Amino acid sequence: MSSSNPSRSFVIRPCTQVYLALMGLTATTYLIGTAAAPEQGPGLGLSLLVLGFALLKSHLIGDYFMGLRGLHGPWRWVILLWLLIPGGLILTAFVLSA
Amino acid sequence: MTATIATHQDRYPPGDLAIWIFILAELAVFAIFFAAYAFARMGDVALFDHYQATLDKDAALLNSLALITGSYCVVRALAAMREDHRAASVRWLIAALGMGTLFLVVKSLEYAHHLAAGVRLSTNTFYMFYLSLTFFHFMHVIMGMVILAAVAWKAHRGGYSAREHTGMETGGVYWHMVDLVWLILFPLVYVMR
Repeated sequence: MSSSNPSRSFVIRPCTQVYLALMGLTATTYLIGTAAAPEQGPGLGLSLLVLGFALLKSHLIGDYFMGLRGLHGPWRWVILLWLLIPGGLILTAFVLSA
Repeated sequence: MTATIATHQDRYPPGDLAIWIFILAELAVFAIFFAAYAFARMGDVALFDHYQATLDKDAALLNSLALITGSYCVVRALAAMREDHRAASVRWLIAALGMGTLFLVVKSLEYAHHLAAGVRLSTNTFYMFYLSLTFFHFMHVIMGMVILAAVAWKAHRGGYSAREHTGMETGGVYWHMVDLVWLILFPLVYVMR
């Protein structure tokens, strides 16, 4: 009996890689939110970075968890298009109020 | 030369198409809510920033991790069913329900803390948005858990197989929608300022 079996090499599933990325980005968001003094907050630049993380995470959820990755046609982009609407409005409101 | 013809499976998302129409309607409502919060904040940035600091970011982090983990469990449940591992699929669904329960417990404790401190919808504009937005999402988590419980029960009774599991996909994408909304809500309400 062979001691090594190449077909049983350790491979992390793509969904697990995405899961780990989502956890990492969420932890980073929390660290950005708690690093600044409570009454000051992270500021506009870091807030927009956090918004970017949120949109990226949501896109990953749509693509890998909801199964839109690999589709052809309009359904492929439905979550991304949705993200651009509130994302753009939130960005506009925060920039205008800075 | 070979022509590539997109199949039905390539063109349409997993699950029943009706749930996607429902999800788009839900996402439209949340988008309006998010935009309303952001533009209402423009009217009194100091008030929003002051009361945002009273929120429990630790609880929000725990809830974010719970929902992301719950979504991952649903993905693994579906993968297990596609490989005809019914028992493993049910276990992953039960784990997802556990994550949903954790979310509800943590969020309920947050609400209890705020209510004990005298916070109400009418306290100020920030709390009006915070309570209504998060409670609206809270109700969606409950709805998602009811759907997942029904899917888990049907899977346990052998209602799905590697060939036919559209119902599980349908329940799964609804649960992912609940997660997706929280991923925007968390930074917007708890972190950004």
